[in-house]
Amino acid sequence: MSTKIPPWEKVLWKNQPYPDNYIPEGALESSLRKNPNFKPYTYWPLVHLSIAITQHLATIFIFLSVFVRLKDRSLDPRVLISVSLGCFFVGYFVWEVLQYTQRSGGGSKHGSKRNERVKTLKSSILIFLALMSLSPVLRTLSAATSSDSIWALSACLFLLNILLADYGSSSSVAQVRPERLTSVLSMNAAISSSVVLASRLSSDLAVFALIQFSVQSFTLFPMLRRRLQVPMQALLTFALSISSLILAAPLSSTIAFLFLLVLLAITFLAPAVLVWAQKYKNEIRGPWDVAVPKVN
Amino acid sequence: MEPISIAMIADFFHPDVGGVEGHIYMLSANLIRMGHKVIVITHSRPPDRVGIRWLLPGLKVYYLPFVTIASGATLPNFFTFLPYLRTILIREHVHLIHAHASLSSLGHEGILHSHLMGVRTVFTDHSLFGFEDAASILTNKLLAGTLRNVDAVICVSHTGRENTVLRGELFEQSEDDPPRLVVSSNVYVIPNALVSKRFQPGLLQKSDTITIVVLSRLAYRKGIDLLVATAPRICAAFPNIRFLVGGDGPKLIDLLQMREKYLLQDRIELLGPIKHNDVRSVFIRGSIYMNTSLTESFGIAILEAACAGLYVVSTRVGGVPEILPEDMISFADPNEDDVFRAVSEAISLVSAGKHDPIKAHERVKRFYDWTQVAERTERVYHTVMKSEQRDLWDRITRTMRLGRYAGPIYSIILLVDCLFFLFLEWWMPREDMDFVTHHWNHRRFASATRGL
Repeated sequence: MSTKIPPWEKVLWKNQPYPDNYIPEGALESSLRKNPNFKPYTYWPLVHLSIAITQHLATIFIFLSVFVRLKDRSLDPRVLISVSLGCFFVGYFVWEVLQYTQRSGGGSKHGSKRNERVKTLKSSILIFLALMSLSPVLRTLSAATSSDSIWALSACLFLLNILLADYGSSSSVAQVRPERLTSVLSMNAAISSSVVLASRLSSDLAVFALIQFSVQSFTLFPMLRRRLQVPMQALLTFALSISSLILAAPLSSTIAFLFLLVLLAITFLAPAVLVWAQKYKNEIRGPWDVAVPKVN
Repeated sequence: MEPISIAMIADFFHPDVGGVEGHIYMLSANLIRMGHKVIVITHSRPPDRVGIRWLLPGLKVYYLPFVTIASGATLPNFFTFLPYLRTILIREHVHLIHAHASLSSLGHEGILHSHLMGVRTVFTDHSLFGFEDAASILTNKLLAGTLRNVDAVICVSHTGRENTVLRGELFEQSEDDPPRLVVSSNVYVIPNALVSKRFQPGLLQKSDTITIVVLSRLAYRKGIDLLVATAPRICAAFPNIRFLVGGDGPKLIDLLQMREKYLLQDRIELLGPIKHNDVRSVFIRGSIYMNTSLTESFGIAILEAACAGLYVVSTRVGGVPEILPEDMISFADPNEDDVFRAVSEAISLVSAGKHDPIKAHERVKRFYDWTQVAERTERVYHTVMKSEQRDLWDRITRTMRLGRYAGPIYSIILLVDCLFFLFLEWWMPREDMDFVTHHWNHRRFASATRGL
């Protein structure tokens, strides 16, 4: 009768009759777990999420077309000012409507709402007047720099803006999310870019119009965009993209074509690539991972 | 096995103190006692520790001039070590090098260069790493490149072996369906050991207070958050408990704040940093050792505490479940409630007198012994020396299989390394080197080491 060798145990203190390089079958696979938190991406929800990026890009394209027209003096600054004022009032109206409809029961008191409106009116008048008084300064700010550097600088700053912008959405009411550093950086980059571009314009009024338009598009409009709900998002994206193409087409059809390509790629091609790349996902978890302590 | 010359290569050695350093020293001392010749190659610590030194018991240490970047590790590079290594290995007639620690670039370079001189290679991995963050991805790729052509790999625990095999790609996919992972046959598990004579239990004292000892670097990785969360609960639930916390680190402030908040100044004593020689005197003041670390490849501190007769409470992470039998250790999941449950269990066990420190010491003495570890390591060396060394073409084909980009890059490094070696053979020929010859009698050294 042969003595049975006891089964191999995964302990170090026992003197086991197995060689040191012995590893039982399947021991390795049983310790690791592959892709335990894997939630696969599906195509259409990703497309919906990428709409925010498309809107942002469309806004930037619109801004660039407006700038080129202002520089060529084909667009009267006064028209631009009135259009942007109109957009501002429309936007503020939409914001108020949204706040009213999305308000949870027993919202803020009437008095504080009026207080808020007065504060908004005060700050908008303040910004308006401040921009108007600063525009002569801004016009000559980078006048000495050559145009090539200006285009390069502006392109880099807009790129920074696109990369760091906050593309999330929050439809809950009265949620003042603390601004992250990256979204503040991206807003600053956009405003700096428009200031730098404004120095190429010829009259103070044009500078004022451009800066005011940029402040509106890159600081106020993203806030409104985040609050809109899903069906409105798709409509808005469509409207913005079409207007950017319409504005760009008379200036240069190549550029308009490029804009169209970029918008389509971001909206439809990029999610497809992401879904395709899922098959390379290889997350390994096992007893060697650093544990996360849970304290009450 | 006939005596061979072994070179231990690591960035981490005396005078730095730590697990890897102690391991290398004790392993070298025991191998010398068994009759082999051992040298250690490490980087210098200017201004004092430079040049060549001798440590008892006849261990020659080469301190090479390399600049360290962070916590004792040198900058990873591929060629600057070759001239030194070639000279040392040829002078000392080294047969086999043993590299330690994945973070030691001297070790990786040693493995890369040794085959040019016909020297065999063994690698020991002491720690666990993840797979996800950017630093891990890069270090794992470097490790896979190094371990592609190593002769043997030793890990200190079974969990460590699985981790190293997955990181260093030491497996092949078998052809069955579904494809299984077949681990290479040259990966061994040889645990660490400790010198049990230095951790004798203290005299038994009958007293009502039970002292819980915590001795670790006070950092996030050591789970100090769990200690901070559970200590007030334990002190409130068991009025006869005292804590003794030794060690220093960034989380000391959290402990001090917790102590202030719950007014536990008389229940929690903070000892500050403890030297390794004084660790035993701290251990014998307590009856329970608490370890809350979030990751632990082997846990030598736990063993030292168990050897000194303490009952251990630890989180179930990494290689900890493998080191002690169930009746000497209580495990907890890394959350506050489970740690509290485990500590209560330990306290009730110890108050009932069910844990015998002397018996625990005897058991740990038998489980982990440096002589056994050195014998097992010697068997690995024997297997390596008997096997045939891979020739250059075999190495190049194996290296190319690393990946579409990593393969060619590493192969280029390998080939440039060969060319550099040929250049050195011409520039610093072997005939002009001073060879080292031993005039000592090893038996006399063996009797000198019998005290260790």
